[in-house]
Amino acid sequence: MHNDIVKFLNESVSGCEATLRDDLAGDPVIFVNKENIYDVCKNLKEGKFEFNVLQVITGTDYEDRYEVSYILASYSKNSELILKTKLNKDKDENKETEPVLDTVTSLWKAANFQERECYDMLGVTFTNHPDPRRILCPDDWKGFPLRKDYVVEEVYNGMTVNPAEKINSADHNYFQEMKEKYGDKKVMHSWKK
Amino acid sequence: MEENNNHSNIETETEEKLKTDLLTLNMGPQHPATHGVLRVEIKTDSEIVAEATPHLGYLHRCMEKHCENLEYRQVIPFCDRMDYLAAMNMEWGYVLAIEKMLGTEITPRAQYVRTMVAELQRIASHLMFFGTYAIDLGAFSPFLYAFQDREFILRIFEELSGVRLLYNYIWVGGVWRDINDDQLKRISTFLETLEENLKKYHSLVGENKIFIERTANVAKITPELAYEYGATGPVLRGAGVKWDLRKDRPYGIYDKFDFDVITGKGEKGTVGDCWDRYQVRILEMFESIKIIKQCLDGIEEGPVMAKVPKIIKVPEGEIFVRTECPRGELGYHLISDGGKTPYRLKVKSSCFTHTSMLGDLAPGMLIADLVATIGSIDIVLGEVDR
Repeated sequence: MHNDIVKFLNESVSGCEATLRDDLAGDPVIFVNKENIYDVCKNLKEGKFEFNVLQVITGTDYEDRYEVSYILASYSKNSELILKTKLNKDKDENKETEPVLDTVTSLWKAANFQERECYDMLGVTFTNHPDPRRILCPDDWKGFPLRKDYVVEEVYNGMTVNPAEKINSADHNYFQEMKEKYGDKKVMHSWKK
Repeated sequence: MEENNNHSNIETETEEKLKTDLLTLNMGPQHPATHGVLRVEIKTDSEIVAEATPHLGYLHRCMEKHCENLEYRQVIPFCDRMDYLAAMNMEWGYVLAIEKMLGTEITPRAQYVRTMVAELQRIASHLMFFGTYAIDLGAFSPFLYAFQDREFILRIFEELSGVRLLYNYIWVGGVWRDINDDQLKRISTFLETLEENLKKYHSLVGENKIFIERTANVAKITPELAYEYGATGPVLRGAGVKWDLRKDRPYGIYDKFDFDVITGKGEKGTVGDCWDRYQVRILEMFESIKIIKQCLDGIEEGPVMAKVPKIIKVPEGEIFVRTECPRGELGYHLISDGGKTPYRLKVKSSCFTHTSMLGDLAPGMLIADLVATIGSIDIVLGEVDR
């Protein structure tokens, strides 16, 4: 089925360069160019594959790129698809460019909240989004939590984040002590620092 | 003449002064009808809602970030804490994703036990819906009835896993502990009484004139709207769409069982209204009872745990697994780089999707109907905010 979709996409959307990745474990994934994401989604929704439901828009942070996944489903054909697009990070002028994508809110209303979450968690900006606010974090929150280089703010609006007296450090210290006493192997590992 | 003129002047002045405007009202975050910490910003024109904007995030713990720093087995308790009213179903979805990646074969007995606890959990969750929905609409006693029956299920789960709410019972490769014959016997006697009770409860609440007036023809969801928003579970089935993952894309051993998919028929009003969603959930409990009875008949002797490596390392790749939870479809999008911890774990929550529908459903309804609507889509904020 996925080969058919790749063929269909390459025929109907020129320049989308759809490729299939199915050599890894789990589900096969289709990659497309980021410029054509709206057209690709439109064709998948209205074309013969009838992907009428958008389930998830989410992203992953890699060292050199962001990958934004669109997980679509079709209730009439009983199929689902992981569609991905790569947003490369350019670190040329010591300044990272922020990832930008076209919105698909006009195709599925579900995209509204999903794109807001993707922006909130990973900082992917969706152009022409009708309501481009954060959704889970407060509006004045700094940084994007699901980026791998994210560091939690120490002070937020004058409040200390994670104050020492409120953290239950007993377990942590106990395991630390045990590790020093018995070495790494015998003790269950504690959380990473 | 002069007096008359003055009079008309006064009239126009008062009319100008009486110019109406929309009133902004905050429902929540601490509001009994929002089932947790949801804030809905409502713009009202007297009693009519003109605009409703849900504000999420009051329970946001960024579980997805936590999971990236934990070994695969340590993530399971976090799944419990997302939808704390249906913890068993939440665990199963996550565990299923890993098992599919590892290619683990699950023993038949473990499959039966899993199905049984998941369906019992579905009943417990729907009973919770039944009770709280009645409270939302002004009836208190159904809540107590529902909790009596839910109590039995929680007791059984406590015996199985040691915990009443957040179990950590379904593990990668099977389940933690075996279920014994005494427990099976008690479940089967409980199901008989439950069936009787449910019929009683349904006639008590569902056929009640006030309840029908409050829920019928309120917040109609058409199949088109449901598709547009990606609604799943009882909300989708309430709209009259025959779609159930247990039937259409079976996981576990659901293909072995004989049960019906309940859809809304618009018996008291139009298809897809609040009453339909209520009815779908009530009738689903009977289907769950059917499944558990078949489990009790078919359960086999044997081990409940398959052989799983001591340290789980999921091969590189990604998978998206959907399961049918009481509140809708739950999806886990697991991306692995071959290490000991997930590289990225995205949870697709049905409650999150359903909350986004509020903005579209609310305009034009009474404030009291908004309470009925939020109750009928049955959200748990732990899952919305994750």
